[in-house]
Amino acid sequence: MRLLLLEDDEILGEGLRDWLRAEGHVVDWCRTLGATEAQRGEPHDALVVDWNLPDGSGLDWLRARRRRGDTTPAVIITARDRLDERVLGLDSGGDDYLVKPFAPEELAARLRAVTRRAAAGSASRLRWGDLEIDLAAHAATVGGRAVELTAREWAVLEALVLRAGRVVGKPDLEKLVLGFEAELASNAIEVHVSALRRKLGRALIETVRGLGYRVPAP
Amino acid sequence: MNGPLPSIRSRLGGALLLWSLLGSTAIAVAVTLAARHEVDELLDETLGSAAVALAALLPAVTDAPAVAPPPLAAVGAPADGPGFAWQLVADDGRLLLRSAAAPDRPWRATPQAGFAVVGTWRVLGVTLGAPDPAGGGASAGAGRTLYVAQTLVERSEARAEVTLAALLGTFAVALLGLLALRGAVRSELEPLQTWSARLATSEPENAASLAPPTRAELVPMHRALSALTLRLEQRVARERAWSAHAAHALRTPLAGIDAQLAVAGREAPPELRPRLERARAAAARLRSVVDALIGLFRSEGELQRGRHELAALVQRLPVAGLEVEVDPDDSDGTIEADADLLSAALANLLDNATRHGARRVRLRRLGPHRLRIDDDGPGVDPARREAMQRALDEQELDAPHEQARTGLGLMLADRVARAHGGRVVLPVVTAGFAVDLQLAPERADAI
Repeated sequence: MRLLLLEDDEILGEGLRDWLRAEGHVVDWCRTLGATEAQRGEPHDALVVDWNLPDGSGLDWLRARRRRGDTTPAVIITARDRLDERVLGLDSGGDDYLVKPFAPEELAARLRAVTRRAAAGSASRLRWGDLEIDLAAHAATVGGRAVELTAREWAVLEALVLRAGRVVGKPDLEKLVLGFEAELASNAIEVHVSALRRKLGRALIETVRGLGYRVPAP
Repeated sequence: MNGPLPSIRSRLGGALLLWSLLGSTAIAVAVTLAARHEVDELLDETLGSAAVALAALLPAVTDAPAVAPPPLAAVGAPADGPGFAWQLVADDGRLLLRSAAAPDRPWRATPQAGFAVVGTWRVLGVTLGAPDPAGGGASAGAGRTLYVAQTLVERSEARAEVTLAALLGTFAVALLGLLALRGAVRSELEPLQTWSARLATSEPENAASLAPPTRAELVPMHRALSALTLRLEQRVARERAWSAHAAHALRTPLAGIDAQLAVAGREAPPELRPRLERARAAAARLRSVVDALIGLFRSEGELQRGRHELAALVQRLPVAGLEVEVDPDDSDGTIEADADLLSAALANLLDNATRHGARRVRLRRLGPHRLRIDDDGPGVDPARREAMQRALDEQELDAPHEQARTGLGLMLADRVARAHGGRVVLPVVTAGFAVDLQLAPERADAI
């Protein structure tokens, strides 16, 4: 997944970024609301938003995105834990609310949950015939047989599965998989898609000529 | 403070008694002196009147020697009483006539007019033929002197009676006044006691809750107490806000520490991982302490009561390494409390159970406001349990004896219970450790 992490605390932001990267996600880490301007229009699978930021409120920022029609799943991370604050956080557009201090494992699990809900309901296991993909476990099986995928291949597969039924353009897919600043050979996505077709079967990932790729709804 | 403080009532009572005695004595002395003077005046006037009357009755008395005076009835003179006597003396000093009670020698060697004390007599001499003391014309038998006298004993008796009456009257009035004043002091001090009792039940951090004064003299005290309470209120609010802010400020760095340790644990060589895991466990413990502190500050704030599913509440709590069972036979399953506070209390009690070696915890609802938590840990000995209960009852967060220290978790649970109007009771159990979390005044949950 490509994630936008909005957290001003250096130690926490760096720790979360590294943990989520190690989980196979692409993380764009911004320390201020101003820094998110550079991310405008970038496709993200989920947002991790701190409430209090040096230049404003993360909730206001999220509310503004929701007003613009943005439905990217968002997890609010904050030290505020009162009931009314949790309610406000969720009413402001948060899909989940995590009170600091929390373990990065929990944040990762909640991100998986909110993106799953946004994509294809709450099930973490999705089936296409004899192909089964477990988003929580980062595992894929064909006919009950486990398939080994590289981190990049998994990232491409996850980006498409989370948008199942929709066409994902190649540039968007590159950004989702490689991040904002990534540089990649122009055919890297084709190489990963080809490897996925070889390992999982040709039927899963369709090529929509001139537009991009699509995984059918499970 | 050493010894009992002096009492306003007894001091005022003592002062009133002293001043009553002094006042009544002064009044009695003044009345006595005045009365004696008046009695003397009255008796002297009586002597004067008697002399005038007697002088009018004695014109026929001859100038003969009066060694054996004729009977008074014969000359028509008045009979003397036990305290009254008279003498008629010639101008050469010879005694012409006297009453029976009078001495047989003239009171004065040479006849003299006017008052004098002679022996045991008060004597008035009147020169006959001279203008009488009452202002009348010249009397018969001019040149002779008539003495009329009264015994001093008679006067003393009269004075004593007057003095005694004055003293008794004055002291009686003083005594009645003293009793009345003491009663008045008592009744005026009563509002002070009532006010003090009402002050004792006022909230210490709420100036508005101070009982209004009932006497003008209490207004300055009320004003001073209000100002003091206001300052206390502001100070407590500042300290509470600061503490809460500090506790909140710790949360982000704690999350950062945990995230960094988690990443380090993943990247570190296998031999370092156990050490990093222990560091993470310590960070987790620190996290629960911070949560407890925040809960502690919050327990003194405003409650947000509501009815909550106990099982759902427990599901959200961190219970790693602990099997938590919510009574499955409880058909209601709801508890009425502030969800945040109850969660904080339960999280700390469960954390305590884990740290003290429990593997299993059972939660039972004993009513809508009462919860019993039993664990299967080693428990504590009866003496320690009693000491801990005492520390909780006396709100002794930092008990001087290790034995009585309850730990932050149990104290937090107690604060939460108290914030709900209840308390924490540590029941006697045969195995493990038990906590009775009462979230309302005792009578509210009678079962």
